[in-house]
Amino acid sequence: MTPTAGLGFKMEHLDEALSATDPGLWFEVHAENYMVDGGPRLAALAALRAQHPISVHGVGLSIASSQPPSRTHLLRLKHLCDRTQPVLVSDHLAWQRWDGVHHADFLPFPRTRAALAHTADNVAMVQDTLGRQLLVENPSLYVNLPGHAMSEAEFLNELALVTGCGLILDVNNVYVSAHNLSFDAAKALQAINGDAVAETHLAGHAADSDPSSPLLIDTHGAPVNAAVWSLYAQLIERIGPRPTLIERDDDIPGFGALIAERNRAHGLLTGQPEYV
Amino acid sequence: MSEHAAFEQAFAAALTGGNSTLPGGPDIARALTVHRNTSAKAAQDALAANYPVVAMLVGDEPFAASAAAFVAVRPPGEPRLCLYGADFPAFLGDYAPFASLDWLGDVAALERAVVEALFAADDQLFDGSALDLERPLTAHAAMRIVRMAGPGASIWLAHQPASDLGALDRIEWTAEIALVTRPGGAVMVTAIDAVAAQFCGDCNAELTLGETAAAAARSGADLATLFAALIGAGAFTTLHSGD
Repeated sequence: MTPTAGLGFKMEHLDEALSATDPGLWFEVHAENYMVDGGPRLAALAALRAQHPISVHGVGLSIASSQPPSRTHLLRLKHLCDRTQPVLVSDHLAWQRWDGVHHADFLPFPRTRAALAHTADNVAMVQDTLGRQLLVENPSLYVNLPGHAMSEAEFLNELALVTGCGLILDVNNVYVSAHNLSFDAAKALQAINGDAVAETHLAGHAADSDPSSPLLIDTHGAPVNAAVWSLYAQLIERIGPRPTLIERDDDIPGFGALIAERNRAHGLLTGQPEYV
Repeated sequence: MSEHAAFEQAFAAALTGGNSTLPGGPDIARALTVHRNTSAKAAQDALAANYPVVAMLVGDEPFAASAAAFVAVRPPGEPRLCLYGADFPAFLGDYAPFASLDWLGDVAALERAVVEALFAADDQLFDGSALDLERPLTAHAAMRIVRMAGPGASIWLAHQPASDLGALDRIEWTAEIALVTRPGGAVMVTAIDAVAAQFCGDCNAELTLGETAAAAARSGADLATLFAALIGAGAFTTLHSGD
């Protein structure tokens, strides 16, 4: 995929998204929202797909689990990919499913050799079923769990090496994790094997609503902040342009405001400083 | 059980039960709170999206409290939150703070049918041509019949954006049956009478169109009017069961 910038798709922006002509514009959709039998939502996705490239971004594969992904869910993802023909397919380095309950978040785990083996098996199963590469994204972390045998970068680099999966490097998530776990975000970004990075994500975050908490929360409810833009610019300078997504899932502004953020990333990627 | 699995089990138990056996002191407790809040918010937001009229009827804060109570006992079982909350209508029927709103469960059941209709398969709509009395008329995948003790359909309709301000005042407090369909790109809710509901039910029971129509005629239905209304609403598909 040509490294241009895309936007997280919001149904309320459908008409503007369909008529948008910004060069290289693509849209990312959350896979689970479209795993339905029919109706206007799927029709909207088909219309969007007719105008722009689509990236399918899952939030429910639970690939960093000791258990394999749900077969039913995986087949739904395959069906969606078969009908949408996305340019990219991705999910997160996290788990959600345990004992019949889906925890709608990206849960952490100790990065052990055994966890790497389980995750690699799960990624391989997904890629075999889909018949295509999966991209795996670093989530935001909120606690430095005891028992890690390797850093997140080491884990992701080896996962990509072993399975052939690509990585989504979410620069905001690295920033949030670095703040919460007291490590250096720039160094963590440098530790990622740039060759494995197939996409980057940019989003906004917020301070924890509990004033006694020092944590930053990955809310996707604000514009990308200056520090994240700066880290992103350094990353692109090091690894070269990569498809870059502006994500916004809460407190959603008008389409124009999101396109302006997207065009800033697009300008950085394509060396057109008038955007920046 | 592997260490990896044992961690997941302990973390999941700490998320849902609140008692953490995980090492890590206040840091892990704080992270658990973040994850608990994030996953609960996602599930509660999904309920608010799937039951907007119930939320309007009870108000945002009481709705949020009921949603939180539901999420605690019936958390999502899979990642498709756009379909989450099938048991919410039954839960609301037993939810003590709303005990005086005995019609609320009906409205919730109707909203659930609306969600199901919204995401149902794209069956071809039956336009009334090529009627075959010897075969069943097949319900469209989006078609639902919701029988209610009160005027749930009128309440739901009065809370739609296109409704006029006087709609609530015109509601007659009587039992209603709602027909839920998706004739074009959008879900449609129509209050229908018992004969029309029986007609739709007979179609679902795979009686032939001839048998269904004869039963409706015996009940005093004007078949032409009934037929036009149901076909116009998109109640049926061209697909015959058994094809």
